[in-house]
Parts: sequence; structure tokens; C-alpha cells
Amino acid sequence: MLENSGVLFSTAPMIVLAPFLVGAIIILFARFNKTLSMALSVGAVTYGFFHSLLLLNALRQEPHLGPWQTNIDWFVSSSFKLSMGVLVDNLAAVMLIVVCTVSLLVQIYTHGYMREDPGYSRFYAYLSLFTGSMLGLVVSTNLFEMYFFWELVGVCSYFLIGFWWFKPTAAAACLKAFVINRIGDFGFLVGILMFLGATSGFWQGHSILTFVDPQSSFDLTNAIKWAAEHGTLTTASLSVIAIIMFMGPMAKSAQAPLHVWLPDAMEGPTPISALIHAATMVAAGVYLVARAYPIWLTVDGSTQSVALAVVAWVGGFTAFMAATIALSQNDIKRALAWSTVSQLGYMFVGLGVGAYASGMFHLFNHAFFKAMLFLCSGAVIHGLHGEQDMRQMGGLFKKMPITAWCFLIGTISISGVPGFSGFFSKDAIIDKAMHFNIGPLAGLIGPLMLFTAFLTAFYMFRMFFMTFTGEYRGKAHPHESPLAMTAPLMVLAVPSILSGYLGVNPQALLGALSGHAQALPDVFTAFLHQSFLYMGAEPEFEVPNLLGMGISTVVAFSGIALAFMVYTRGLGINTWVKQTLPQVYQFSLNKWYFDELYMGVLQKIILPVYTAVWTLVDKVLIDGVVDGTSIATVGTGEVLKYTENGRGQSYAMVIFACVAGLALIFYFFPRG
Amino acid sequence: MNPEHLLTCLLLVPLMGTFIIGLSPEKSARAIAIALGIVMVIVTAMIGSHFNAASLGMQLVEKVTWITSPFPVEYHVGIDGLSFCLVALTTIVTLMAILASNTIGDNRPRLYYSMVMLLTTSILGVFISLDLLQFFILWELELIPMYFLIAIWGGPRRDYAAMKFLIYTFLGGIFMLASLLYLYFQTGQVGAMQQPTFDMLQLAQTSPGLPAQVQLLGCIGFMLAFLIKLPSFPLHTWLPDAHVEAPTPISMILAGLLLKMGSYGLVRICMGFFPDFIAQFGVFIMALGAFNVVWAAIACLVQDDMKRIIAYSSVSHMGFVLMGIASLSAAALSGAIFQMVSHGIISALLFFLVGCVYERCHTRKLSEIGGGLAKQMPFLFYFWMLAALANLGLPALSGFVAEATVFYGSFTSPLATLSQHPDFVKGCLIFACTGVILTAGYMLWLLKRLFYGPEQPKWAGHLTDARPMEIFVASVLAIGTIWLGVYPMALTKNYAGIADKMAADTAAHLTKSLGSNPSDSDM
Repeated sequence: MLENSGVLFSTAPMIVLAPFLVGAIIILFARFNKTLSMALSVGAVTYGFFHSLLLLNALRQEPHLGPWQTNIDWFVSSSFKLSMGVLVDNLAAVMLIVVCTVSLLVQIYTHGYMREDPGYSRFYAYLSLFTGSMLGLVVSTNLFEMYFFWELVGVCSYFLIGFWWFKPTAAAACLKAFVINRIGDFGFLVGILMFLGATSGFWQGHSILTFVDPQSSFDLTNAIKWAAEHGTLTTASLSVIAIIMFMGPMAKSAQAPLHVWLPDAMEGPTPISALIHAATMVAAGVYLVARAYPIWLTVDGSTQSVALAVVAWVGGFTAFMAATIALSQNDIKRALAWSTVSQLGYMFVGLGVGAYASGMFHLFNHAFFKAMLFLCSGAVIHGLHGEQDMRQMGGLFKKMPITAWCFLIGTISISGVPGFSGFFSKDAIIDKAMHFNIGPLAGLIGPLMLFTAFLTAFYMFRMFFMTFTGEYRGKAHPHESPLAMTAPLMVLAVPSILSGYLGVNPQALLGALSGHAQALPDVFTAFLHQSFLYMGAEPEFEVPNLLGMGISTVVAFSGIALAFMVYTRGLGINTWVKQTLPQVYQFSLNKWYFDELYMGVLQKIILPVYTAVWTLVDKVLIDGVVDGTSIATVGTGEVLKYTENGRGQSYAMVIFACVAGLALIFYFFPRG
Repeated sequence: MNPEHLLTCLLLVPLMGTFIIGLSPEKSARAIAIALGIVMVIVTAMIGSHFNAASLGMQLVEKVTWITSPFPVEYHVGIDGLSFCLVALTTIVTLMAILASNTIGDNRPRLYYSMVMLLTTSILGVFISLDLLQFFILWELELIPMYFLIAIWGGPRRDYAAMKFLIYTFLGGIFMLASLLYLYFQTGQVGAMQQPTFDMLQLAQTSPGLPAQVQLLGCIGFMLAFLIKLPSFPLHTWLPDAHVEAPTPISMILAGLLLKMGSYGLVRICMGFFPDFIAQFGVFIMALGAFNVVWAAIACLVQDDMKRIIAYSSVSHMGFVLMGIASLSAAALSGAIFQMVSHGIISALLFFLVGCVYERCHTRKLSEIGGGLAKQMPFLFYFWMLAALANLGLPALSGFVAEATVFYGSFTSPLATLSQHPDFVKGCLIFACTGVILTAGYMLWLLKRLFYGPEQPKWAGHLTDARPMEIFVASVLAIGTIWLGVYPMALTKNYAGIADKMAADTAAHLTKSLGSNPSDSDM
């Protein structure tokens, strides 16, 4: 077994390299052959999926195998060494499974969705490159490498949002996505630099910014310890670094105020929305915080840090804000995008209140059901020949039953109905958030999350009812999608129902129900904790909180009930709000006016100021001096040229003038 | 062949080419130029095979003394890792520029290609000279072909641009000559060496020992000349005009190679000869570099002429070289040298692609092009995308390596930790980091205004995609940037030792100056 797992681990880099290789091959050679492009791309990620499963299994059975890593030198100088490598530990293994599963299913789905598109092969090439970059990000061994792949997934997202480059909206959206992400990357970069500045004496020729390395101890945890001992880092300065670095996750995972790109990113083809903008890339921010968790803690490793409080509040605010916006959106994909923003907020709340396992668990569950929801919306759009407005839908349950059932499962799951996966992770986060106690308004965040859960249930079922029930309001001829599209939906429905049970111990739950409450380990937390051993040898398992679960359930059902009343029974709350509180409605419909604010600042202030300053300095001042010297030179020359023009009369004239001048001087100022 | 003659050989190819092409028939000029370009690449490859990357010293040195009195005049060439990287860059970019000259060179090809050859002689000569006088002569020689190449084959405002280029560069040359003579006479007074010299190897040994005041006067002229060439704010306004008016292949050489003469001089002469100067004024140079990065990026955002955007982005990217030099960190200096090569490739590619679009649309104004070109130029679109991403510092492409190492290195550098204003230095660096946002903004906005959006009716039907020659040139440069971006050690291994040593030597001067007079805090 050990020998086998040796090969298993040492070939792990192939998981990342295969999609890159395939992407390059498709671009260079296979782009004229659709089937070959598809087969190569799907093949690479299928391989990655099975290899990841084997790795996960190996780590499950023999925990001492992780963390396993290998590095190659990428840049060496006497100052420091930058490395690229592959790190396989429990956290990475979980993410590998998520990325490979969703990517595989999305790639199969793509075959159905994009088969008419002239850019079919190009799409597969981008998909492969994205998958490779995302897997590279997941297995990064150090912060530098993560930044490297962080940007690569960003650029793949740019390619894919702008895939239909002829659409002006898509062109604007991909530019916006990349630039907003660059704002986040700026913070990420500055954060890395400041952290490196504080710990630069520590690394001593080892590859810098390594996440974990139990063998040599040259990793983040020990770097922070070292810096704290040497006085280059305090809890306060570490928090400052973490908050600046958090700009990266804020942009990548679409947290306020850098969230504005994600809804616009829906201009890309729907498979991309499912893969990149719902399940994997947008979760990279959450993953970064979890991966580099020591930076967000205090210097002595406690979760009582300001940085984590900021994470929690940013997540909490975003979750709430996005949910209020999702209430009024009519575009099916954009409404889903806002729900993604909101759910990512939940994950950050989980990490921020110290419940890293719950946050990661929500990421895990969310990836499956949200990917499924997006793929369902894609099937609806496909079936309606491009229609995305939910006001033009309705009554699709009979026309496309498989899609409708899957969408219903996803909706139930995300709404937090007990028994489905979303319930377990979301409830765990709300439960921990209720006990959050850092900062003056700490008590608010739990209730806010609970209220957001109510909104979530309402807007998700609003979408479901508007799309699938009632009478069909559009003009197209809806039809169910081909098997290549429905099969991935049905596969994803399984984890959307069941994956939640990994994060809860059935015995503990049953015990609590029968009055014998006890804390028992659950599979997910116990497995994941192997990557958080610096937090303590054993994770804190909690007694199931039946009261909390009960409240969550009531909240979810009341949201569903309200949506049911409004959208199937004609309870006119929505029109009432629209008519009597138009400001509130417009505020939600216009997404809290973030876009207007940003575009206004950019177009009315930043660009005019830049233009004016540039014109003044470069054109007027500097070139004024330059051109001025040449005018002065020419002018001097013009004057001086009369001194040597070779004409006798001129010279005689000058001599005469000089003599006359001298004579006059002597006449008026006689000597003596 | 005796490997010692290889460098001379390399220098003679374009020099002879100048005359051969000048005397040959108009029709065969292009063929001869391409052949000579290939020969130069082959000779460079031979140099590479004899070059020992592990050695820190000068290699393949050849020295011929002509006269010794009243002052020594010598022919003295040699390369180390730093020069070698730039020589390789020069020969490849020159060949690509010659290949890209197929339309512009139809106008008086004999004169055109002969001027290109003379220009190449000058650039190669600067990179391999080991005699300061010879360095200066070859440096100045570049003016003549460049002036004519802009003034004859340039755009509508070519006279203005060529004259502006000439005046700026000539001014730099005068400053350099003054400092050069000053340095020559000062070295005669150093005890260890009675005989004044132009030998750059000897100067690198002796002039760091000169008093700080002498170093100040000695360095300032060189510094000005190199800052003009680099170019750096506020001496940069010749560059956008020269680029906009210059024909495409000349822009490739101008951005890809000529600017590197300035950065090469900064490392070889300013840093190598005058470490006290760099140590003393490092904070200012750092601030200037950071300002360049941001200022030029801002300038890019407000341009409507795509060539002007690429020209200003050169100013922005050369700011990283200044930062890398000023920081005194081995990694950042290594990054600065990397930036020279990387920017040489990327800017040549970008200017080439600008030329491809200009040739088809006959306008460089983005507002006139109006977008949607991707429909008819898918290949050019992909190359543009790659070049734009390389320029904005996307990982796995070469621009990122330089930016990342300059930032990482500078932030942990002696200047940012030991000097008397560490927070100011760090502030400058964070300011420069905002460049990553601005660069992404202007590059992708440029891409959007060129290629994205619906097809414009006015372009429908009469634009063509890349021709085989264009695909070849763009591919060679694109492969270069991908290769260096994925595996930067391929380049850094040639000069890592030199960067380590130079940074350490200069940093020693910084610590010495801080140690000897801690009260001197006006830095």
C-alpha cells in the first residue's frame, strides 16, 4: 500500500499538467476537430478526477502520508528562492475533488450546450486551461505560487466571459471582471510583500512563503512565530497585513465592495457560469483564507483577531446585500449570480467566526448544488432559445421535467431545508456566528445571517416558481435538453442531497433527538482538520444544537411559504412594495447603485483628472520646455546669422555703427 | 575558428553589411539583410556554445591597442552573462525587425537596410564594449541611422520627431562625454593606478574606491544620458513622438533594443562604477522608478493612438529597471535585468502587432477603428491578446517574472530595511504596485477598443488576417515570452551570479556609508 501510494503521490503533478498540455494541444493542433478536442479535454479531467479520488482515499486511510509536497526552483537569487510545487494534503484533496467533479460534469454538459457554436474547440481549450490553472491553485505549495495561478484563473475567466467577443455587453463584462480582480490582486500583492517584509529574515534559503512543511518547519506558522519573537510582527500588524491581503479574496470571491464584476460575468456561456463563477474560481478566495489561515489569526494562533472579524463582517454584509438584490432580479442567471455572491458571504462568515471547517464545508456543498442550479438555468435558456428573462418563462415543469426536478433539488438544498446538503453547512455557520464575540456589534452577525437565510429561501423559490410553475408566458417552444446536458444534472443532484451528511455525525444527531446530546466527530471536520493541526491536535466537535436547527428550519420554511403565496397564489406583496416603496424596490433592482457609483467616479473624476494632469505635465510643461529650447535656439540663430552673411555692405554698416556708437559715447562721456 | 574572435565577428557582420548592402542592387538588399540577420543569430548561438554561464568574469575577450599616447585608444570587447542576454536579444529582435520590414523597406531598400545594419552595429557594440571611449563612440553612432530611419521612412510628423529624438539623445551624449572625461582624469589621481584609463574592467575595479564627491560628478552625466535613453520622467517625451512617427520595424528596434542601451548602461556603468552614488541616491532613484511606473500608466489610459499607448507603456515598464537597480537587492536586480530582456521581446511584439493593424486599417486612432476587428483578424487577435497579457504581467509570461521579482526583492532589499527612510521606500513600492491595476486597465481597454464588439461596417470585407510571415514573426516573439515566463531560470542562470555580486558590492557601500557617518541623514 505504501509503495503504491508513493507512486500515487509522486505523479500528482500530472493532475495539473494534463489539462494544460491538453489545452495547448487543442489550440495548436486539434482545434479543427471537434470530437478530438472534446475527447482530449474530457479525458484530462477524467484522469484528474480518478487520481484525486485515489489521493483522497490514500489520505483517508493513512493520514501520516499528508501533507505531501514536491517543489522545483523557479527563481533563485541570493536574496530568496521562489518555488513551484504540488502540495497534497487533506484540504487540497477536498478541493481537488470539488474542482475535478464539477469540471468533468460541466465539460460533458458543454458538449450538449455548445455543439452548435463555431467556437466549440476554442471553448474546450479554455476550459482545459482553466481547469489546469484552478488545480494548480489548489495544490500550490506557497503564497507566491498561489498568486501565480490566482492570476491565471482570472485570465481564463476573462477569456470565457468574453468568449462571445462580438457582444458589447460581454466585452465590457470581461474587461470589468479582470480590472476589478486586479484591484484585489493589488491588495493580495501588497499583503504578500508586507508579510514577506516582516518575515524575510526567517526563510534562510528555503523556498519562501511555504504554506505547510512539518518536516523542515519553514512554513507560515513558524514564520509568524519567528517574526513575533523578533519583533517584526505583532498581532496588530499581522491583522493589517491580513486585511490588505483580504482584498484578493474579496475580488475573486465577489465580496462587497469588489463584487460588481460577478453578475456581469454572466455574459459568458452558461457552462462557464457554473464552473468558474459558481463552483470553483469564485471559491478560490475562500480557499486562500483557509489555506493561509495562520495569517488571519493572531500571532499566537488564536481566532480572536481583528482580521477574522473583518472577514466575518465583509462576508456577512455581502451575504445580506446580495440576498436583497437577488429578490428583484428578473434574469435567471443574474439572480443565481447574486445568490452565489450571498453564499460566498456565508463561507467567509464561517471562516471569520473561526468555523473554518463549516466554511469549507459550505464551499464543498455549495459547489455541487450551485453548479447544478446554473446548469439547470443553462438547460432552460437552451430550451427557450436564449431567453433569460424569468418573466418570459413559467410552466416549464411539464416541458422539461428532469431540469425542473434538479432545479427543485438545488433550490431546496440552498434554501436550507433539513435533510439536504445546504442545510447542514449553512446551519453550522449560523450556529457559530451566533456565538461570535469580537467587536462592538458582534452579536448582530448571527441574526443577520439568519434573516439572510429567510431571504435566500424566498428568492430561490421565487425563481423556481417563476420559471417552472404557472402558465408559460414566453413565445418560444420549450423542450427538454439532450442527455449530454441532463446527465450531469442528475449526477450533481446526488451530492446536492447527500453531501451534507459528511459534515454531521448521524449518531450525534440521533442522540440529540433522543435526549442524549453528545459531541461526536464527523467525517468532514475530522478529515479536514489534518490540515489545521496548528490550531490544536483535535478539532472541537460540537453538540448538535437542536434549537438552532429548529429555528433555521422554521426560517427556511417561512421563506418558502411566502414565496409560494406570492408567486403561485397571487399574494400581492411584490407589487405592493413596487408601488408604495418604489425607492426600496429600485434600490434592490439597481443593485444598491454600486455600478453607477463606480462608473461615475471613473468617468467623471478619474479619467478627466488623468487627462488634465497628463496634458498639463507632459504636453504643456515638459514639451513646452523642449520646444521652447528649440525656439530659443532658432531665434538666437536667426539673430546671429546676420553677423556672418558675407556681404561687404553689412560689415561696413556694422563697422560704421560701432564707430558711430563709440564716438557718441566718447562725446557724451569725455575722459577725465 | 578561434572563439576569441567571435565577438569581433559578430560586430563585423552588420558593419560589413552596411557597406555590402549599400553597394548592392536595390532588389537584393532585403535578401542580403535577411541573410546577415540569420548569420548574426548563428554567430550568437556559437558565442552561446562557448559561453560559460557559471563564470562571473568577462569571456571571449579580445583587445587590440591602437595608440597609447596622448590617451589610450583601444578596441576591446568581451561579454559576461548580462551582455550575453542582451546580445542574444539584439540579434533575434533585429532579425524579426528585418523580416517585418517587407512593406516599409520597399521604399529605397538599399539605404533602409544599410541603415538598419549600422544601427545594429551600434547597439551590439554598446553591449560588448569594454573600453569606455569605444562605448561612447558606438553609443553616439546610433544617432545617425536612427535619425534617418525616422526622418525618411517616418509618418507625417517625422521631422519633428526625428529632431526631438536627436536633440534629447545628443544632449545626453554631451553629458556623458563630460562625465567620461572627468572620470578619466580622476582615475589618474588614484594612488594604486597612476595611468588614467578608459578600460572598463579596470574602472570597475578602481572607481568604486573614488571619493563620494568624485563619484557624484562622475556618475551624474552618465546617469542623465541613460535616463534619457531609458527613458525616465521627465526626460521621456521624445519617446512617444519617435515611436508614433517611426515605421513599425524601427519601433520594434527602438523599444526592444535602444531603450535597453540605457538600462544596460545604468547597470554596467552607474552601478558598476559608482556604487556610492547608487547607495546615496537610491531612495530618489527608487521614487523616480515608482513614479515612472504609475505616471506612464496613467498617460496610457488617456491616449487615443494605440502606438502611443504602447510607447508610454515602455516608459512604465522601464521604471521597474530603475527600481530594481536602486533597491540593491540581488533578486530585484536580477528582476531588472530580466525586465530588459522580457520587455525587449514583449514591446517588439506589441509594436509589430500595432504595425499589422495599422497597415490594414491605415489609422492608429482607436476611436476611428471602433472595435470588432476580431471577426476578420482572429489570428492577430490571439497574438494581440497574448502580447497584451504579457505586457500587463500575467504569470507564465515573461513580464510577470520581472515585476514579481522586482517587487519581492525591493521590499526585502537593503534599501527598504537598512536605509534611513525604509517606510518611504516601502511606500514608493506600494505606490508602484497600483501599476498592476492601471496596466491591466489600459491594456485590456485597448484590446476591447480594437477587437471586441460587433464588426464595424466600414471594415467589413476588406481586412485580411495575419500572413505567414507575420505569423512567423509573432510566433517567435510569443514563444520567447512564454518560454521565459514559464521557466525564467533559462535566462537568470546566465547572470544570477553577476546580479548577486553587484547587489552585494553596492549594498556594502550603503552599509559602509550608514556606518561611517550615521549623522548624515539628508539622504
